[in-house]
Amino acid sequence: MKSFRKTFSLLLLAAMLIVSTAACTSNTNNGPASTASTAPAAGGATETAGSSQREEITLDVFSMLSNFSGEQTGWFAKVIKDKFNINLNIIASNLEGGADVKFATMMAAGNLGDLIIFGDDGQKYLDSIKAGMLVDWTKEGLLDSKGQNILKYAPKAIEKNKANFGGGSSVYGIGFDVGDDKPGPSEAKDLTYNPNLRWDLYEKLGRPEINTMEDYLPVLKQMQELEPKSESGRPTYAFSMWADWDGNMMVLTKAWAGIHGFDEGDGFNSGGFTLVSGDKDEYQGVLDEDGYYMRGLKLYFDANQMGLVDPDSMTQKFEDVVNKMKDGQLLFTFFPWLDDTYNTAEHMAEGKGFALVPFKEERTFSYGYDPYGGNRVWAIGSKTKHPDRVLEFIDWLYSPEGNMISSNGPEGLNWELKDGKPVLTAFGEQVLPANDTALPEEFGGGTWKDGMSQLNNTTFKTTNINPDNGEPYDYNLWQSTLEKSPTKLDQDWRAAMGGALTAKDYLEKNNQLTIMRPLFTGTPPSVISDELEQKRGQVAQVIRQFSWKMIYAKNEAEFNKLRQEMLDKAKGLGYDEVLAWNVEQNKKVFGYRKQ
Amino acid sequence: MKAAIRPQSSMSRRSGSLIPDKFRLFLFASPFLVLILLFSYFPLYGWLYSFYNYRPGFPLSETPFVGLQWFKAIFSNPTQTQEVMRVMRNTLAMSTLGILTSVFPVIFAIMLTEIRTTWYKKTVQVLTTLPNFISWVLVYSIAFMMFSVDSGVVNKWMIALGFQEMGVNYLAQDDHTWLAMTLWGLWKGLGWGAIMYIAAISSIDQEQYDAAKVDGAGRFRMIWHITVPGLMPTYFVLLLLSIANFINNGMEQFFVFQNAINKDHIEVLDLYVYNTGMLGFNFSFATAISMLKSIISIVLLFFANQLSKIVRGESII
Repeated sequence: MKSFRKTFSLLLLAAMLIVSTAACTSNTNNGPASTASTAPAAGGATETAGSSQREEITLDVFSMLSNFSGEQTGWFAKVIKDKFNINLNIIASNLEGGADVKFATMMAAGNLGDLIIFGDDGQKYLDSIKAGMLVDWTKEGLLDSKGQNILKYAPKAIEKNKANFGGGSSVYGIGFDVGDDKPGPSEAKDLTYNPNLRWDLYEKLGRPEINTMEDYLPVLKQMQELEPKSESGRPTYAFSMWADWDGNMMVLTKAWAGIHGFDEGDGFNSGGFTLVSGDKDEYQGVLDEDGYYMRGLKLYFDANQMGLVDPDSMTQKFEDVVNKMKDGQLLFTFFPWLDDTYNTAEHMAEGKGFALVPFKEERTFSYGYDPYGGNRVWAIGSKTKHPDRVLEFIDWLYSPEGNMISSNGPEGLNWELKDGKPVLTAFGEQVLPANDTALPEEFGGGTWKDGMSQLNNTTFKTTNINPDNGEPYDYNLWQSTLEKSPTKLDQDWRAAMGGALTAKDYLEKNNQLTIMRPLFTGTPPSVISDELEQKRGQVAQVIRQFSWKMIYAKNEAEFNKLRQEMLDKAKGLGYDEVLAWNVEQNKKVFGYRKQ
Repeated sequence: MKAAIRPQSSMSRRSGSLIPDKFRLFLFASPFLVLILLFSYFPLYGWLYSFYNYRPGFPLSETPFVGLQWFKAIFSNPTQTQEVMRVMRNTLAMSTLGILTSVFPVIFAIMLTEIRTTWYKKTVQVLTTLPNFISWVLVYSIAFMMFSVDSGVVNKWMIALGFQEMGVNYLAQDDHTWLAMTLWGLWKGLGWGAIMYIAAISSIDQEQYDAAKVDGAGRFRMIWHITVPGLMPTYFVLLLLSIANFINNGMEQFFVFQNAINKDHIEVLDLYVYNTGMLGFNFSFATAISMLKSIISIVLLFFANQLSKIVRGESII
């Protein structure tokens, strides 16, 4: 059956190729004309001059991080079309059954696509290398000829990939978020996750003090009473969740561990059933009675009893939550980038919007600058016909120019250089970070938000300094932005937070960050045995299922009953053995951390 | 025997063919034999995967052979065995409900043919047949639109009519999962299932009805004494076919409707195999479990065969 499928998918692929090449020939004619008119959009296209004469190709991008599937459109599509004559066809495993499912089918078919973005450098990455699914960048001088920016700006990330995954000689990919070589937290103004509340409502309540994570509930309840309906008249909730991203456990419950300085995975091994401290030699089992995960479940259960949890949480998708957020149905989020959908310029000018409301015990997880690159990997599929052009594209993303454009948009549209320093244009202030503003046709049309890069992976830390202009990549940190008068929301928040400028600023000053140190071991992570992997897979399903059930339990007795059922079932299916293996790996990492 | 062959071979000679008849018939059948080999026997090759530690992307020759390890794993610990039993229970329950509800299309077909207004009849038929062509994924989005708490129509009505005080997430309930799934299946398949019966009804001799009318039979009597008996052969053939498919209740429907709350009752064998294989990332173990299905099917086949022998005096095998 498998090999039949293989043949079938090969046939299908062949058919697709024929169709796509047919599309090429018909499109090449109008290519150059459109390029000429928007040359400044691509910016500094010296080395790729004449790209418009090159054959138009469509790259299949298999992204395990993207939340969009289909052809990239809008301004970002236009930039790379003009510069490389490349179209991106994004295959998002998040939308097609989950990372494991899509990965397994693509592996079985023997083709992972042209450009691959791995969600982590664990088992899947190792398997792909072993099965020969990835291009070795050192072969035929590919990296030397097409990867000049990578070699210049991310040499240590290449070194890590060589040592950890390439047997000391080959390079199969490069990690994301490559940082400058310096200490301290590497985030810009926000952290990966944070307790963010509707600041205006919190302020109306007189900013009650919050000591533990459980203390949020009464505050959120009062906020809900203060604003029971959203802008379109729908009910408001503190927590509206989605199950699409759940892996070994519920992502939005794990987040409670994250704001206590614990994360799944230890920065070296991919996740399992332990939550590991970012800076101390401590770990907890997911199902530990007093662990943060179980505390998180209890918190959500209590919240649901208080009417604070969106009853649709289990059956809706991530997109539904984004729409609810936009409408103002939410009062709490963990993710600063989700805030952005509500924190529009208009809302912020009114003083409405989400901002960090810290609690006393908070020790938010933060990633330090990692010159070796993080664990989300950019790689090239071995079946690609154009390894050189794929690498050229990746290399551009790893250039100051490419990173500047992918994070802030095209020069001349959102920002411009004044005296050599970047400054936001009026339009840029209107559209950033992710607003639904319409774009002029010459920049690709559509809206700003829809045209953003859907690859959903970064290359450099946006807090790195751009060598071209001496400012960080993130527009929030530009001198020109910082000097601008803050919005009403910012003013209110800063006044309340003792003059801290950003969430990161506040947490850093108050010593409420857990900064993870980058790790370079020279060895790949250990591989879990097939038997344990089977157990992990089944236990993970039990944990996911019961986590949701417990949150929606009718009463405390049912909650406890379900908890016991989860423990029995998970342990019956081998939870303890998998946990023991995870602990063993984590302890090794504690050893590495001391080196 | 000889006498029977001779005229035939002379016929083939007359038609100018060099191929003897017995091979000719075989040639006629061969495309279908190939199809059967391809789709029914070739997939059995996949069973090999249950004896290996298969990881996608690697050929079997490069994966370790583990013998019966995954089969043993099914019964290796009580929790695992319970899981498989739970899944079996769901499969059997949902299939039984499916068979029990197979009379509904019959009833529906009879009622439909009794409608005299042609345009109304056609409209009803089109509207009920249409859902069959909608994929389950779309059915779920329709369900989500109808039953979601914030924007669902059903919740709005229920609140407006005073039946409930606040929104209820109907899709995340486990009280009547089997029934709900059967109803969804029925909604989707009713019109389609009725087509066959409508055809059967139209082939019933009109004279029977005329005779009955002369004898003074009313509408209901005509249905009961003529239409229903006329439909019975069709019904039983289709019933037998569905029994043959007893264990195959598919996974699409259950896959799109599954969530943490209803998982205990919605996970049928096919879905469980998918969940362990694809979501749990263990293909070999999933293959081993899916083979259970074949074993049960074979048992069912022999059971049906024996039953047929006793009841009708004939058997398939």
